[in-house]
Amino acid sequence: MPAYAPFSSTETSAGPAADVPQLDVAGELLALLRDTGTEPRPDTQLEALTLAVAADLPVVLWGEPGIGKTAALTQLAAALDLPLTTVIASVHEPSDFSGLPIVGDDPAEQGVPMAPPDWAVRLVRAGRGLLFLDELSTAAPAVQAALLRLVLERRIGSLQLPSEVRIVAAANPRSSAADGWELSPPLANRFVHLQWTHDHEVVVRGLGGTWPRATLPRLAPERLPEAVDFARRAVCGLLSARPALVHRLPSNEARRGGPWPSPRTWDMTLSLIAFATAAGSSRDVLSALVRGTVGDGPGLELLAGLDRMDLPDPETLLADPAHAALPERGDLRQAVLDGVVAAVRNRPEKSRWDAAWALLVRALETGAPDLVVVPATTLASLRQEDWDVPASIEQLAGVVSLSRRADRAATRTAAAAQARR
Amino acid sequence: MTFRTPGTPGTPTAPVPLDLGKLFAARLHAARVRPYLATALFALHTVESRRVPTMAVDRHWRCYVSPAFVAATPVEELAGVWVHEISHLLRDHHGRGDRVARERGLTGPGERLRMNIAADCEINDDVFGEGLARPEGAVGPKALGLPEGELMEDYLRQFRLGPRTQSLAWLDCGSGADGLEREWDLGPDGSHGLSAQERDAVRFRVAQGITGRPGDAPKGWQRWAEEAFHPPQAWRELLGAAVRSAASGSGAGQDYSYGRPSRRSAGVPGAVLPSLRRRPPRVSVVIDTSGSVSDAELGSALLEVASISRAVGGRRDLVTVLSCDAAAGVVHPLCRAEGIPLVGGGGTDLRSGFTKALRARPRPDVVVVLTDGQTPWPAARPACRTVVGLFPRQHSRGSWSEDRPDDVPDSPPAWARTVVIGSPAGAR
Repeated sequence: MPAYAPFSSTETSAGPAADVPQLDVAGELLALLRDTGTEPRPDTQLEALTLAVAADLPVVLWGEPGIGKTAALTQLAAALDLPLTTVIASVHEPSDFSGLPIVGDDPAEQGVPMAPPDWAVRLVRAGRGLLFLDELSTAAPAVQAALLRLVLERRIGSLQLPSEVRIVAAANPRSSAADGWELSPPLANRFVHLQWTHDHEVVVRGLGGTWPRATLPRLAPERLPEAVDFARRAVCGLLSARPALVHRLPSNEARRGGPWPSPRTWDMTLSLIAFATAAGSSRDVLSALVRGTVGDGPGLELLAGLDRMDLPDPETLLADPAHAALPERGDLRQAVLDGVVAAVRNRPEKSRWDAAWALLVRALETGAPDLVVVPATTLASLRQEDWDVPASIEQLAGVVSLSRRADRAATRTAAAAQARR
Repeated sequence: MTFRTPGTPGTPTAPVPLDLGKLFAARLHAARVRPYLATALFALHTVESRRVPTMAVDRHWRCYVSPAFVAATPVEELAGVWVHEISHLLRDHHGRGDRVARERGLTGPGERLRMNIAADCEINDDVFGEGLARPEGAVGPKALGLPEGELMEDYLRQFRLGPRTQSLAWLDCGSGADGLEREWDLGPDGSHGLSAQERDAVRFRVAQGITGRPGDAPKGWQRWAEEAFHPPQAWRELLGAAVRSAASGSGAGQDYSYGRPSRRSAGVPGAVLPSLRRRPPRVSVVIDTSGSVSDAELGSALLEVASISRAVGGRRDLVTVLSCDAAAGVVHPLCRAEGIPLVGGGGTDLRSGFTKALRARPRPDVVVVLTDGQTPWPAARPACRTVVGLFPRQHSRGSWSEDRPDDVPDSPPAWARTVVIGSPAGAR
């Protein structure tokens, strides 16, 4: 131990530790405790938050106190290369956000200016930054009212925040909030609501010394036009088929203060889909964003629509059945086969009918046979008198016997039920 | 769909090959008799496994199948097992099992077996019949001497492992049924699992199919479909939030005001600072004591309101309680929750209760009305915030009065925030 050499030469019996100031030892221990590593790990929540912030939409994080919302914001600020300003709303007064009235020499002549607080001035001078409004739900109502103006209009007193400043708010869910403030439906409609939960595994591993390092999404410049086109098709496709989803106020008490669909939130959703597409984010990330903007029901319908947009086009499959790539998942595969049969029904031609049979054979060779039964039955009924049965149909004999087997089971079940009566 | 065979060549008895034709014929039969479940049935990925006793699912929507079980079971019963296993996944039994385990501190494999049995009871009482055969050995609530039609969480409270469940010890529907990982599970990284978003999408598609054609599905499935993505919330939380937000709105509670300068003003010459003023909210509870509301319901709701108003800073003497039937009773301050005489019975007219509550000086900030809704309401919005705790009633009885036989009770008006009391508390 070279550090203690001067002492150890003279006093060996008492030990060197006796002379080291206690606070230095404490500092050493703290340094050891803080010496933690990181590992890359996908983080859906953080990725969703990053995209929403990048899209410049107001975000409110809902989560129990003490689960790492602030830590996430620190990581986000580092990723976006923005200085982080944290303002804990509950310890501020409304004047800190709406500005202090300063009485001058001649109020009648000059008016009473509303002076902004120092952190706002610094933020404006820096021109960019990430403003984190913590503990939104435990602040007094007047403070919240002042804060909402800041979030929605970016104004603090007479000061206008530059557009490079991004704002994120955090709130506790009403089950744990001490004085239970909640958003009114018009306000809730302006936010992207993200639920913030902790991952048990991450916390245990982090306390053990290894915290996750999220790899954050990067927008790919070459994908931008494609992303906008995709987002417009997705939202317009859904809303033209389901006009009732365009605007629906939450009707019952349980859904108050949460996300709900309106033209404004659909517009936000459109941006979010475009951002998620340009960043190549997973469906899980997009799901969190969309459901947090328009609500669960409309959000899930939109996601279901996106799944259908991903399926191969029936016309492409019919054009080249030999090299068709059918989805692995059974329910999607059946949706594709049904689509192919529907396409043949819409424009019945002998060549298309034959191609559809070839596709069914291919589906049988590469997957479960019970999926083919219904499309095969429907396709057989589309036959016109002068069409010869293609040779490939013999390979579907197994499907027919499978179908018969199920029929027999149905008959036996009915008979057994009859016997019990 | 490809099949995965675990590398177990050294099994002592000659292994039976998995009869895929039979398994898929059974799935086809299941999808024909339960068309609304077809999407979910086809989304399930089949994995051959010689370690599962029968058929088991994991939380990533894989279905592990024992070849010996398929060989020994008739097609129609296999169809029943398919529907049974998919029901575990659709009803999120693994997630609910985890939640119950956390809430009630249940640990160990014995508790997970109980969860599996309770989940089976929830499923088996209404999925079979109507063209679907009941598989041999399917455990139902009747076998355990329990009532039908309840949820897994309720069944879990009502039985223990004992002689009656001895024969069920082999029962194992996998981690998809109770949340406990099995040694045969392929885990989140294995192939062909469904991601959380894909699982939600399939469940949503099935729920939509059921609500779209409600005639086809039995009651249990309809209830599931309605609540799958909008679980009922605990009324205590909702009532609490409603009362709190009414009590902390402008004009009540603790807030900033420019009415008196802040003590900080001295430090900032020239600036006018608001100061924090504390005005505890006055809450007036109007209780409908007509014959149709039970004392137990009233008692629990009243205690809830009292504790909420205390939590928002109200003092006991600021909460007043007023019992009301056709005529309003006397206003009591809430000194002891149990000491308030709830006089009344017979017909209801809450309008007199409102009048009486609002006539109090100083005026209340919030009026909380606890009622079954079988009453006429004030025509105009009263001069303070109103929260209605509504006890749901199936039939419109109790309000009918001999003098006014045509009087149909209205639902609570739009200016009041209405919370339905007594709906199942966070069942899933």
